[in-house]
Amino acid sequence: MKLNSKTLAVLIVVTLFGGITFTTLMGWWATETSKVPAKYAEGEAAGEYNPADIRGSYTFGDVSTVFNIPLDELAVAFNLPAGQDPAAVALKTLEETYGELPVEIGTASVRLFTAWYLNLPYEPEDTDYLPLAAADILRQKGNLTPDQLAFLDSHSIDLLAESPIAAPMVETTAVEVESAPQPTPAAEEHTPEDRLVSGKTTFQNLLDWGVPQTAIEGILGGSMPAPATSIRDHASAQGLEFSTLKGAFQAEVDKAAP
Amino acid sequence: MAQSSFWKKFTRKRIWIRSVVQFFFFALIALISINHTLAESGGGIPLLSSASLHALCPFGGVVTIYQYAATGTFVQKIHESSFILMIIGFFLAVLFGPVFCGWVCPLGTFQEWLGKLGRKLFKKRYNHFVPQKLDSVLRYTRYLVLGWVVYMTAASGTLLFANIDPYFALFNLWSSELAIGGVIVLAVTALLSLFVERPWCKYACPYGAVLGISNLFRIFRIRRNPGTCNLDRVCDITCPMNIKVSEKTIVRDHQCISCLECTSEARCPVAATVEFSAGGK
Repeated sequence: MKLNSKTLAVLIVVTLFGGITFTTLMGWWATETSKVPAKYAEGEAAGEYNPADIRGSYTFGDVSTVFNIPLDELAVAFNLPAGQDPAAVALKTLEETYGELPVEIGTASVRLFTAWYLNLPYEPEDTDYLPLAAADILRQKGNLTPDQLAFLDSHSIDLLAESPIAAPMVETTAVEVESAPQPTPAAEEHTPEDRLVSGKTTFQNLLDWGVPQTAIEGILGGSMPAPATSIRDHASAQGLEFSTLKGAFQAEVDKAAP
Repeated sequence: MAQSSFWKKFTRKRIWIRSVVQFFFFALIALISINHTLAESGGGIPLLSSASLHALCPFGGVVTIYQYAATGTFVQKIHESSFILMIIGFFLAVLFGPVFCGWVCPLGTFQEWLGKLGRKLFKKRYNHFVPQKLDSVLRYTRYLVLGWVVYMTAASGTLLFANIDPYFALFNLWSSELAIGGVIVLAVTALLSLFVERPWCKYACPYGAVLGISNLFRIFRIRRNPGTCNLDRVCDITCPMNIKVSEKTIVRDHQCISCLECTSEARCPVAATVEFSAGGK
């Protein structure tokens, strides 16, 4: 059986657009994130949506809808701007909003908050931090284990004290947040010497901590920028999600630990 | 009369319908990419998709296979559409070989357009600058690139290849998502296209590497009839991928892109000698 060019052209175009049309009709074709996270495959939470799959592209409205957490509580927990609809705030903007903090408040923080709010399995990284208000809400829920409470004690940060941009922006009447039962560690305790990758960590820090440049470039998928560049600035410039890079670099830092 | 003569010349020597299809897909992807940028600022072209380029790239489906199998999720920025396009690309490849490369891929088209300029500049030397021994080794580097991209994507869970992807750079030159690495690779690809036909496809394209494997088992193949072939080697000279068609009865080279330029319908001067067909040995 022979084919000429015109027949082949028709077959290519028909197959491509026919396939797209068919999958659209079947409801399979999607060019945007469905904003529906994966579910736990096993364990007690099997079948529940897994907060670990929350993406930076989700808005707080998406998180509220999918996980059934009141939007007001999310707004208080993450100190969202009062003049903005909390439902429309994308999680990835947290990394920029709180970029001046010595620790990372971003998508990973929302994953942690959501999981523990709903008492779902979630193993936080040592670099995961929560705003003090978020930690207080979790404590109020009263269903955390002693280990989880201890983690909150050492991994929460007072946004009002640490960040000049974090002025009170949301009326807290929606949620009565009691004072924290445990003192929050000062930001200064988290310094580059901790070998923890944070928003302020530069590529020079990574090199100083023994991470080979080849490993850095492997993770970046290209050449390393000027060593003084912070990882967050580079991620922002390249359209990458900082929290993902942070995890990969932290693994390299841990691997290079003396 | 003059117009008729021009049309005859235009249609006789090449697979003109391929140029039409290539232009169509290049324009479509360019418009969608522009629309994506417009949509982000609240505007947009009505009735035209504003999908991101990642969502319309079948290679996105390839790099997310591991994560999808392991966790049931896609790599960041990859969506169901990429997966579906990957499957369609594989289906076409099993039937016809890497027609996606030869007929659809806008980056391949971009290189071919630059190649026309190179051909005018260097005449017969064009596409014959790289020594054959070196060339034959370099043809396998795209499998290294493929392995690296798949591993890095699986390890990081992010689409790191986008930082050096010339295809992404080409259609994001106006966008804030443009990565300097992609611009550099695109510039190098464009420059090399003046000397070598489709340099990215030959030496570096990981998706071409995947589709190229289909040349080993595809149903429709380029076949040469040794009984009628006059061994003028026009097919060899014509082939953009430098395949020695005149030395084969069936083309199984992993670099064939099914452009049909070597066939009797195009450059081969002998009727029914080099054909695109199924069946037989």
